[in-house]
Amino acid sequence: MGAEVTVLDCDPNKSLSRWASHGMPKGVSLLSDIGRSEIVPAIRTADGDGKIVIVDLEGIASQLVSRAISQADLVIVPMQATALDAEIGSEALALVREEEDALGREIRQAVVLTKTSAAVKSRVQRELEEQLRGAGIDVIEPSLVARAAFSEIFAYGGDLTAMMNDPEMMTGGKVEKALKNAQSFTEAVYERLK
Amino acid sequence: MNGSNRLAGLTARPKETSAEEVRRVDEVGEARGFLDRTPRKKPGRKPSPRTYQLHPKVFPRVGEAIAAEAERLGITQGQLIERMWDTYSSN
Repeated sequence: MGAEVTVLDCDPNKSLSRWASHGMPKGVSLLSDIGRSEIVPAIRTADGDGKIVIVDLEGIASQLVSRAISQADLVIVPMQATALDAEIGSEALALVREEEDALGREIRQAVVLTKTSAAVKSRVQRELEEQLRGAGIDVIEPSLVARAAFSEIFAYGGDLTAMMNDPEMMTGGKVEKALKNAQSFTEAVYERLK
Repeated sequence: MNGSNRLAGLTARPKETSAEEVRRVDEVGEARGFLDRTPRKKPGRKPSPRTYQLHPKVFPRVGEAIAAEAERLGITQGQLIERMWDTYSSN
C-alpha cells in the first residue's frame, strides 16, 4: 500500500487544481480554496501516520504562508537560479527561522533550484548554490531541471509514469529523464522527512 | 521496498495548534510583512432587488402614519407597502 497524499492548493493561480481537473493519480486527493482560517485545521485533518500532506502556497508574503509553515515538517522553497528569486526566497527562509524561535521547535527547510539546465550547470547556479550552502542553507540535490514533461503534465493531468506509458500523450521532451529527475528529487525529500 | 511504501512508513509529528500558537505565528509573520491578504469583500451595501418605484400621492395624515409605522417596525416604507399588499391579496 502506498502513501496517502493530500495536496492543498493554496495558490490563487490554482495550478494544481488545473492539473487535477485532467485527472489525478491514484491515492492523491486535492483540496482547494483553502484560506488563512482553514489552513491549520485542513493540514491537521489530512495529516497522520503514512500520510503525506503537500501544501502549494502562493508566492506572496501572507499570513496563510506563515500559518502553513508553522505546521510543516519540511518547508521547500523553490527558487530559480536568479538573484531576484534568491532574494524573495530568503524572506521565506528567514520567516521559517523566526517561526522556529517563536514556536521553540525545529522546522526543517530546504531550497530546490528549479528550471535548471539539463546540459550544464550555469555559472549563476553554481555561485548561488555556493552562497546558499555558505549561509548554512540546505540545497536539495538534484535540482528540478527544465523539462517539457514537467510543463506538459498540466495539460494531461495524472503523473509522469502515465505520461510515459500513454502514446497518446505527446511531449516535446524525454519523459523518462523527467521521471528520473522527479524520483531522485522525491528520494532527497524522503531523506529529509524520515 | 519501493518509494511509496517507504513514504507510507513515515510517522506524523503532531504539532500544537492552539489559538495562542497561531497568534504567535501571525505576529512573527506580520513583523516580516507576511500579512493577511484575504480578499476583502466589496465595500458598501448590496444593491436592492426592489427596483420598481411607486409614486402615490396620499393625504398627509396617511403618508405620515405609513412613515411612522415603517419606522416603528424598522423596515422601509416599500417593505411596509409589500406587507400591506400581501395582506390585501390574501383576503
